[in-house]
Amino acid sequence: MSGESRIPISRDPDVVLARQQGRALALSLGFSESDPMFVATAISEIARNIVVHAGGRGEIVIRRLDQNGRVGIEVEATDTGPGIANIEQAMQEGFSTVKSLGLGLPGARRLMDEFEITSRVGEGTRIVMRKWARSSASRNRTHITLG
Amino acid sequence: MKIPVLKQGEYLIASIQEAATDADLQLLLNELVRRVGEHRSKGVIVDVTVLDVMDSFAARLLRDIANTVRLRGAETVIVGIQPDAAFTMVRLGMTLDDVATALDLEEGVAYLDRTLKRKRGS
Amino acid sequence: MRNQSPAGSSMTDPADPSSLMHDFDVTEAEISARKAFLEFGAEDVAKLQSLKPLAQRYATPMIEDLYRLFLAHDPTKAFFRDPKSLERVKQLQKEYFIGLTEGEYGTDYVERRLKIGAVHERIKLVVKWYLGAYAFYLRTVSRRIFDEHKNDPAKALDLISSLTKLIFFDMGLAIDTYIAQREKVIRAQQDEIRELSTPVLRVRDRLLVVPIIGLMDSARAYQLTDQVLRSIRAHRAKVVVLDITGVPTVDSAVANHLIQTVQASRLLGARSIVTGVSPDIAQTLVRIGVDVGKLHTLGDLQEGLVEANKILDEA
Repeated sequence: MSGESRIPISRDPDVVLARQQGRALALSLGFSESDPMFVATAISEIARNIVVHAGGRGEIVIRRLDQNGRVGIEVEATDTGPGIANIEQAMQEGFSTVKSLGLGLPGARRLMDEFEITSRVGEGTRIVMRKWARSSASRNRTHITLG
Repeated sequence: MKIPVLKQGEYLIASIQEAATDADLQLLLNELVRRVGEHRSKGVIVDVTVLDVMDSFAARLLRDIANTVRLRGAETVIVGIQPDAAFTMVRLGMTLDDVATALDLEEGVAYLDRTLKRKRGS
Repeated sequence: MRNQSPAGSSMTDPADPSSLMHDFDVTEAEISARKAFLEFGAEDVAKLQSLKPLAQRYATPMIEDLYRLFLAHDPTKAFFRDPKSLERVKQLQKEYFIGLTEGEYGTDYVERRLKIGAVHERIKLVVKWYLGAYAFYLRTVSRRIFDEHKNDPAKALDLISSLTKLIFFDMGLAIDTYIAQREKVIRAQQDEIRELSTPVLRVRDRLLVVPIIGLMDSARAYQLTDQVLRSIRAHRAKVVVLDITGVPTVDSAVANHLIQTVQASRLLGARSIVTGVSPDIAQTLVRIGVDVGKLHTLGDLQEGLVEANKILDEA
């Protein structure tokens, strides 16, 4: 698999599509044990947020990462929804009001290795999350550097 | 796509397919509640063996099924949660403590049989 | 694709998955950084090229001297018992030696150096011996350069300087490759140890025992949970006994991993019993706020097995 997968997210079935693509890429990159499921679930959470809270105006891009001999997967979710006024609050575990984003974001963060979120009220939200393959099978490339 | 619900004696068995959407799951909840009432079912088995991802929405919905169905006098058991799905769920903090679970359909039926027997005061 | 033209231009592509450069993640940027730090540049290339006639003249006697050195010491003599392989290696050494003055020090050159390091690791020719060989090259070539430029010692030193930079560039790559190969072996061994150190034992139908031994870091805990869950499914276990007698430290991280394993096991329909919970650990668990009501704990493995059997027999 090369390049990236770009999935427009507007309705329910797109959530399923995005997470299936995520899982497929994770498997093809050698992610093992429960990691492909972690990746798929994290994607499901943020894709759903786009459908439910951003009026279905967004997309998810899933790409392969190569860094220092490690293989990873990067998921970038952008939407042009209303944006999140209080990111800290939204990222709090168990925070729930009728208008809240539920367990989506904190859950996704728990499942991935890296998680970044930026948002502007009235403009939209951007989430970038990454996971690195942990099994030695996908770490056959050893690494030499100066430092 | 509609999630099939089969009647097996006093039990209803719902088999969630691989690419079930949020809407499909929501409809399943409604369907189960309706049919438990219609057949006066005593037990509901929800089989998630092939469901591709168990995220917070799915987990919450399963809990809603169990709670709602209980109000109508029936016991629910979730079966077929895969190892990686189970791991993900606990990572998300969705442990479904108040919902009965079993390994598979066979164990699920056995669980319901046992529970019903106990309820009827054997 | 590898393609060496007669002119010796660099064509090995670091992105080619079959290349050692790809394997060891040696990029063009990495090569440049090393040369920059050695202050090795175009002037050095020119100086080295000027040494080519000298190198060709003295290649054969130099290699003979080098092998005399190897054969005079038991540890290195051992590598050259077979006369056929000795001749082959001598030929490779001659090519290496002449290659030092060809003037081409790009990706092809680097690829050849990495190969040397990888081969040395494979045949277990340790670093101290081939450092000795490099030292040999440096001092014997230096002496000959000095003889050639008897009337111009400054020039001799200048040429030796460039040669020194290149030799050290080579040594750096060979040694780092050797190290990287060792680390690869060690990582593979660690993975094996991790798997072996958490066996999941099926002691009876529907009953699994997991004796957890040693320190638990998060990587290990993840692997443990994953393994236990898959075993529950594979063996249709109804009871899992997690014995932590052999876990030296139980802090909140370990406790949480344990609880997650127990909760996930329940989702697969299996009940868990945690054994080996000493009074100390029990106190720790309570202190860090673990809901001990959630955990079915017992003092020792024996009790745990008795309890597990009871549960299974009652069902």
